[in-house]
Amino acid sequence: MSPTVTIAALTFREAVRRKLVAAFLAITVALVGLSAWGFERLSHSRSLSSAEVAASLPQALILFMFMFSFVVALSASTISSPAISAEVESGVLQAVATRPVRRFQILLGKWLGLAVVLTAYAAAVCALEFVVADLVSGFTPPDPAGAFGYLLAEGLVLLTAGLLLSTRLSALATGVVAIALFGAAWLAGVVGTIGADLHVAALREVDSIARYVVPTDGLWHGTIYALEPRSILANAIGHGSPFYAGSPPSWAYLTWCAVWVAAALTAALIVFERREL
Amino acid sequence: MSLGSWAERTTPDGAPTAVVPSMDASTMKLRAGSPSSPAVHAVDLAKRYRHTVALRGLSMTVRRGEVFGFLGPNGAGKTTTVKLLLGLARPTSGEALVLGSPAGDIETRRRIGYLPELFRFQHWLTAREVLGLHAKLLRLKRRERCADEALATVGLARRGDDKVASFSKGMQQRLGLAVALLGEPELVVLDEPTSALDPVGRHEVREIVRGLKQRGSTVFLNTHLLEEAEQICDRVTVIDQGRAVATGTLEELLGRRSVRLRVSGLPNGWWHCYARFGTWALEGEWLRLEGAATEVVPDLVAAVVAAGGRVEAVIPEHQTLEDRFLELLEAR
Ligand SMILES: Nc1ncnc2c1ncn2[C@@H]1O[C@H](COP(=O)(O)OP(=O)(O)O)[C@@H](O)[C@H]1O
Ligand SMILES: [Mg+2]
Repeated sequence: MSPTVTIAALTFREAVRRKLVAAFLAITVALVGLSAWGFERLSHSRSLSSAEVAASLPQALILFMFMFSFVVALSASTISSPAISAEVESGVLQAVATRPVRRFQILLGKWLGLAVVLTAYAAAVCALEFVVADLVSGFTPPDPAGAFGYLLAEGLVLLTAGLLLSTRLSALATGVVAIALFGAAWLAGVVGTIGADLHVAALREVDSIARYVVPTDGLWHGTIYALEPRSILANAIGHGSPFYAGSPPSWAYLTWCAVWVAAALTAALIVFERREL
Repeated sequence: MSLGSWAERTTPDGAPTAVVPSMDASTMKLRAGSPSSPAVHAVDLAKRYRHTVALRGLSMTVRRGEVFGFLGPNGAGKTTTVKLLLGLARPTSGEALVLGSPAGDIETRRRIGYLPELFRFQHWLTAREVLGLHAKLLRLKRRERCADEALATVGLARRGDDKVASFSKGMQQRLGLAVALLGEPELVVLDEPTSALDPVGRHEVREIVRGLKQRGSTVFLNTHLLEEAEQICDRVTVIDQGRAVATGTLEELLGRRSVRLRVSGLPNGWWHCYARFGTWALEGEWLRLEGAATEVVPDLVAAVVAAGGRVEAVIPEHQTLEDRFLELLEAR
């Protein structure tokens, strides 16, 4: 087995053994339960017409998925932030790094292992939430796989950012910075939406720059788009709200996101390669 | 007397430890990685951190198959040296060959075992799993058997399936030792291997090191414990403030030896005729012969007896390592 795969398997095992996966699954089940209750109330509401219910179900799902995107972002930065620094500080990495394994193999292995954890987690979140929404309210999003894909991509961006930061910063600092980046990117997206509504070019500018600098919010809009049925899109219901997407991310933008992840990973490799243990 | 000349005195055969040559043609030959290349050959290693200079021009040679003690007080630069040799850190200047390859060479690492000073392992794994991980990274065959053997050697055979998190510090250090022994490495680098061990554990480590030597492995032992160096090391380099201050076998290091002697039946001052054995000094009833090696004792006794003297007692003495160590550090 190549050292990269060995490290990846070790990383995966760590996430499972240290009950990180279990903790996040527990949070997820609780949140999915909460959303089930919400869907139940919404679909049996007496004060809303059936047309209003049909229009609000997708928006409710988008809102719940926003919560999950935050949990996914949180888990991505939680699992990646201690990856390097904490192991250097504790001394665990010294014993591994003096084996016939290259630094890039250690880092790549960790990225792979964490990416598998995150993928499994995002898949579980989406499957649970979509199945519950369907069972309780009968609403199925038009593109569940797409929604999962964009959510995962968003998580991978943060995961990679966290890994890069953790080659230099302590686990705590990495976690804080990664979540702050995620929050700032989302806020920039909100600011951009307001700017578009009010026709303030400067505010729109903030968003269009931010979504390239930290592409989490741009990808989150992909998730929104994948959850919106045609009826919403055709009437542009919710236009001007931060939970509305009029179009999917362009291929150019998705390519940029891939380049972003590759560049962050390369930077992490370079920093880690030079770091003295 | 300068320290340099002291170092030369301790290795009269002109071994490379006394005056280490720069990386020249002969060194290049060592690079070939032949079994005859020294286990470690460091030339002028320097390491500067932002605010401290950890190493300032350290040169040394560790021969194959010996138990080499790297002896120095806290902060002398022992751990830094080891990290440079293993490629965990890079020297500011200077160069080092380990088993004939540049320090940190990936393939050479397969032949090196290392117990870090800060021995910590994945606490969510069992001891056996930690060894399995390292066996995998070493690409060993029969990994389970290697792990079992290593566990047995360090006395953890019955705790192999327990989580590392449940181990005491001493047990973790034993596990670290097991990791370092995995795959029968040619060079075993131990950074203060007994720091967390009780006297029994220390004794066992000494036995393990002896076993390694018998197997033909080279052992590089960092320690600040004099008795540890005294009991198991073939050769020692004393390091202080980032420089090697003395190198040699313990015999050579404890250079100032003497023989104490009590003789009757000879006229006072008889010893003036025996200046060839060394410098004599009168200490009450006793005579002290300074600078005498143990080898002269039979000749000395024979000479005294031949002259009609009665030898009542002969006591070869040498300086304790502690005295010598303090003397070396004070000289700086
Ligand atoms: N990472 C580091 N950053 C700054 N200074 C260091 C670092 N590592 C070691 N030093 C300094 O280098 C000197 C030698 O340390 P070390 O090699 O650990 O000594 P020893 O192992 O002999 O006790 C000390 O003064 C120590 O403070
Ligand atoms: Mg040390």
